[in-house]
Amino acid sequence: MGAEAKGVLQVDFQVRLGARELEVRLDTESPAVAVFGPSGGGKSTLLRVLAGVERRARGSVRVRGRLWMDSDEGVFLPPWERRVGWVPQEYLLFPHLRVRENLSFAGATLQEVQEVGELLMVDHLLDRRPRGLSGGEQQRVALGRALLAKPRMLLLDEPFSALDRPLRSHVASRLRGYVQERGLLLLLVSHDEADAVALAQEHWLLSEGGLERVE
Amino acid sequence: MFRLPVRAVAGLFVFSLLLSGAQPRTLSGKAPSLMEPPDSALLVLAAASLADVLPRVAQLWTDAGGIPVRFSFDATSRLAPQTLQGVPADLFFSADQRWMDWVAERGALRDDTRVDLLGNEIVVVVPRDGGKKLLGPDDLMGPSIRHIAMAGENVPAGRYGLAALEATGVWGQVADRVVRGGNVRGALEWVALGEVEAGVVYRTDATAEERVRVAFTFAPETYPLISYPVAVLVQAPLPGTALAFLEFCQSDGATRVFQEAGFLSLRPGPTGHSEVTQLPRESGSPLLPSPWSAIRLSFLVALAATLAGFVPAVWLGWILARKDFFGKSVIATVALVPLVLPPVVTGFILLSILGTQSPVGARLAALGLPIPFTLLGAILAALTVGFPLYVVSVRNAFQAVDSSYEEVAWTLGRRPWPTFVRVTFPLALPGIAAGAVLAFARALGEFGATVVLAGNVEGSTRTIALAVYTLLESPQGREAIWVLVGASVVLSLVALLGFEALSRHQRRQMGARHGR
Repeated sequence: MGAEAKGVLQVDFQVRLGARELEVRLDTESPAVAVFGPSGGGKSTLLRVLAGVERRARGSVRVRGRLWMDSDEGVFLPPWERRVGWVPQEYLLFPHLRVRENLSFAGATLQEVQEVGELLMVDHLLDRRPRGLSGGEQQRVALGRALLAKPRMLLLDEPFSALDRPLRSHVASRLRGYVQERGLLLLLVSHDEADAVALAQEHWLLSEGGLERVE
Repeated sequence: MFRLPVRAVAGLFVFSLLLSGAQPRTLSGKAPSLMEPPDSALLVLAAASLADVLPRVAQLWTDAGGIPVRFSFDATSRLAPQTLQGVPADLFFSADQRWMDWVAERGALRDDTRVDLLGNEIVVVVPRDGGKKLLGPDDLMGPSIRHIAMAGENVPAGRYGLAALEATGVWGQVADRVVRGGNVRGALEWVALGEVEAGVVYRTDATAEERVRVAFTFAPETYPLISYPVAVLVQAPLPGTALAFLEFCQSDGATRVFQEAGFLSLRPGPTGHSEVTQLPRESGSPLLPSPWSAIRLSFLVALAATLAGFVPAVWLGWILARKDFFGKSVIATVALVPLVLPPVVTGFILLSILGTQSPVGARLAALGLPIPFTLLGAILAALTVGFPLYVVSVRNAFQAVDSSYEEVAWTLGRRPWPTFVRVTFPLALPGIAAGAVLAFARALGEFGATVVLAGNVEGSTRTIALAVYTLLESPQGREAIWVLVGASVVLSLVALLGFEALSRHQRRQMGARHGR
């Protein structure tokens, strides 16, 4: 099985999505991939399958040669062992915890929280609760929380949608530095191409027909 | 394991009717009369202990050409106030001279029609199968008698029984063995089930219950004459026919029916105000329940039930909200059953499972945890009846927590149990607390299951609801009730306000999720 494992990310699964069957085949050697496509096309579902929180998917997922899921073999790596940094579209900050506690949720130290807080320009919000934050602030905190889980792979769902233009490129470039420095894999989905160009080397389009690579 | 004989279920049905008091049983005769408009009928308010025998007398009456008779059977203590409230009833059959006097003082009786129609006796019953051999009052002091069931101290049967026990000199020895049912029927049911070794009841109740036998009868001089006074009401729509029916009740045919049912026929004749009314000597135990003891006890029972139910309710609520498995809907339904079952039935089922005669209850009793007639029983009854509300609130609280929060926590390296502790539980906590408050409020109001399982024991199971019930049995109790009514209303309102506040808090917290 391990013999043909050469790609960085090999995904081949199908899952029921509303009335239709979503089929995704992705095989890439690039560490930073962006997936575009219309809303409701299954982009978020792709991220959920990789994060390990979508249990209905049938097929296989292999990351850097390691098998994360194979429904035929009965292999399923639970989400708490995947070390992914998932930033869902709705941020999903824990509403009962302060920003500081959200950031350190995966066990980060005070100093790490401070560093990432500064990197994403949310260090002045550490004692606030999510309820009082703007959408852009919440989005950056959610990103910081994912980074502080020390992931092997980042899964970003429309990661800059709530940021205005200048802030967006600023955060994107800082994030790119962070990802490259640590050698993280990155999978980003968005309906906005501009988001992705800054971060990803390889671009794919998810449509009714499936996933295709675009130049 | 536990048996539900037809007789017991039937008895229970009557018992629950007596307890609920919501729907007095109404029976009607058939034959129309030529004298009266065809749709007219006598309406008779009658003590519950006459519910079996009076319709048979009425049948004789209609067979003889009388107009139909409709009955409303209930405890004398609840019927008496009704006679003052404009109920268009013709006759009042009371089981108690005190209540009859109370009505007469308020001018609702036609005093010239009042007669003492029937008499009754106080007997001691034991279970028919395996009951102890008791030859007289002294045997009640023997070591094999652990519990003696009696009606509440304000219902006539309870008062007369107390007088008999005092007059025979055994009360001092047996007072701490006495457990009070709400009424005679409840006390009798405990004897029939074998939960108590003996019961002090009316002869007529013993005659009607085939699962018990009479061990001995108290000598008539040991308690006041038991009589059923009857009179035509001032407001009677058909006073002439009412008087005719009253006379019919003293005929040879009617007397035979009454005697077959175990009643004594008293020499008919008008009675004065207090000629027959010998009040029993009521020393020994307090006549009126203490309101503060009841309030304290209600609070304690409700709190203990709420705390004891916390872990099971959270566990079951979480399962129902988050898990999918075969048989889930069955479990969900079973958990809700006590919500829709009459509480009296719930109490009876608990008594059948946990009574000292059942395998489970016997084992608990051997461990020093007897359930019937104890504080533990009261807590268990309150918990069982409140549990469905608890579980449903908790389930809703968990369902209100978006499971995506849990998924995020998993991807952040937290396994399911730490995720539950750090995310799911704190987010659901306001809703869970609201459920606890609701269960607490329900436990405060619990009556039916408690009175069957745990009895009406001052200081250990007589909560607010049971104290009010007991006070309602007594003409003097009607003023003391207001303290308890006030406490009940205040406690319930506070609990419900707490529920509202907590529910609002949870909604607000959840609503903040998409606050972009």
